Amino acid sequence: MVEAFTSFRRSGLMSMITVGIITISLTIFGFFLLLVLNTGNIIGEISAKMDVSVYIQKNLSDSEIAAFRSQLVSLPGVEKVTFVPKNEAWRDFKEKFAARFSLDDVVEDNPLPNTFSLEIRSTDLVEKTARMAKQVDGVDDVRYSGSYLENTKILVDAMRIGGFIFVLLLTFATLLIVVNTIRLTVLARETEISIMRLVGATNSFIRGPFIIEGILIGVLGGAFAILILKFSYDAIAARILSALPFLPVVVDKKQLSTIYIMVSALGMFLGMLGGYISVSKLLKEK
Amino acid sequence: MIELRNISKNYPNGVGALYDINLHIGKEEFVFIVGPSGAGKTTLMKLLYRDEVPTTGSVIVDKINIAGLEQQQVPYLRRNIGVVFQDYKLLPRKTVYENVAFALQVTGCPRSQIRRKTMQALELVSMLRSAKQFPAQLSGGEKQRACIARALVNNPPILLADEPTGNLDPATSWEILQLLDKINKRNTTLLVATHNKSIVDGMKKRVIAMESGRIIRDQQLGVYSGNL
Repeated sequence: MVEAFTSFRRSGLMSMITVGIITISLTIFGFFLLLVLNTGNIIGEISAKMDVSVYIQKNLSDSEIAAFRSQLVSLPGVEKVTFVPKNEAWRDFKEKFAARFSLDDVVEDNPLPNTFSLEIRSTDLVEKTARMAKQVDGVDDVRYSGSYLENTKILVDAMRIGGFIFVLLLTFATLLIVVNTIRLTVLARETEISIMRLVGATNSFIRGPFIIEGILIGVLGGAFAILILKFSYDAIAARILSALPFLPVVVDKKQLSTIYIMVSALGMFLGMLGGYISVSKLLKEK
Repeated sequence: MIELRNISKNYPNGVGALYDINLHIGKEEFVFIVGPSGAGKTTLMKLLYRDEVPTTGSVIVDKINIAGLEQQQVPYLRRNIGVVFQDYKLLPRKTVYENVAFALQVTGCPRSQIRRKTMQALELVSMLRSAKQFPAQLSGGEKQRACIARALVNNPPILLADEPTGNLDPATSWEILQLLDKINKRNTTLLVATHNKSIVDGMKKRVIAMESGRIIRDQQLGVYSGNL
């Protein structure tokens, strides 16, 4: 343990370079992880919107609305009907855009209609159901996510699988970089290792400090990467949110810290593995 | 203590280094192995601390055939064999004291004993005064003393010295040999590979002469160049 810290201090520049490289690789890794998370989130939002919104006329009474609802339920393909009162819709809308400007100054009255949100059993039925809903009495307008819906599912799956494969490849690339970088610090101490072997150090004894040093380097690299990621992501997310409020950027602390933990865990693991692989290679050569 | 039976050694590139070596070295003997460069002296030494494995034959050290030793056991063998090199192999970034203590640390020696044993070893080689110096600040003779201290700090029953005086002037070489003689008299079996004629002739010890991978002469109270 003491050995590892001492050697870390003594080979300062080398260790700093290694930490730097690991920081960069982990930052890239984390960045893509965040990208995948956000893409997934956007896609999720889009697929959740595979529903039909039925706007009803403003002057309908409560009993008429109830009758209306039963008519909608009986339509083919409808799985669930949710009533969104116009007051609620207005509040939601204002909340979402509150960051941009205050609507109360501009609009005095609630301009939104009462809405029924229909969940459709299958994508294929969306269009048909929407057409039928339009013919129901009291309907003002019907909106649905349109013809691109059919392709969404394929797109969703493709993006998820693609993202997963990409992250996997990136992990592997990061591993290679880290292992090779740590190998440099190990090779720099080849003589030391050969003398250790000569005076009767066991292999596990020789490995120990290098593995600890690897973990140290990995954790440091991970920590720097998290700092970079956190600050830049927060800044970018804030910008996007104020510019495009409807884009579902992930700001959930829990999800983000999961990613940060993954990055640091990967850093630590890669450092350890890097230390282990590099020394073992050297030990085997003799 | 040491016995070599029917040893031959070919390196993977096909070069033969040793042929048909049979040798017995008793406990606490002082033995010179002499011969020109390339005669196989270093290879012979390497077989004894398991840095090389013989192609055929057995190497018996302290009743154990180390040619068949499992890799995991090698470190424990090496703790019982001190090795001294022509180029000292000291770690440049450690002080003399740290270099010697290093050999104890890596064997997991308790901290409380490291200081005492290291000091003893340094005292034996008269290097206490230079304990805090770095190898670069030492003369060749002092470096060799530090190297010997490191080889001895574990109290091994066997000490191997491969060309210990190769980089030293005659006077310093003679001092180092006196030191090795002193260590031999403290119950350590000693093998010295050398091509330094004057020290071999001066010490009057057992001399094993090698040439082209073969033992050509084995003589008690011998001299470097045989019965010329």
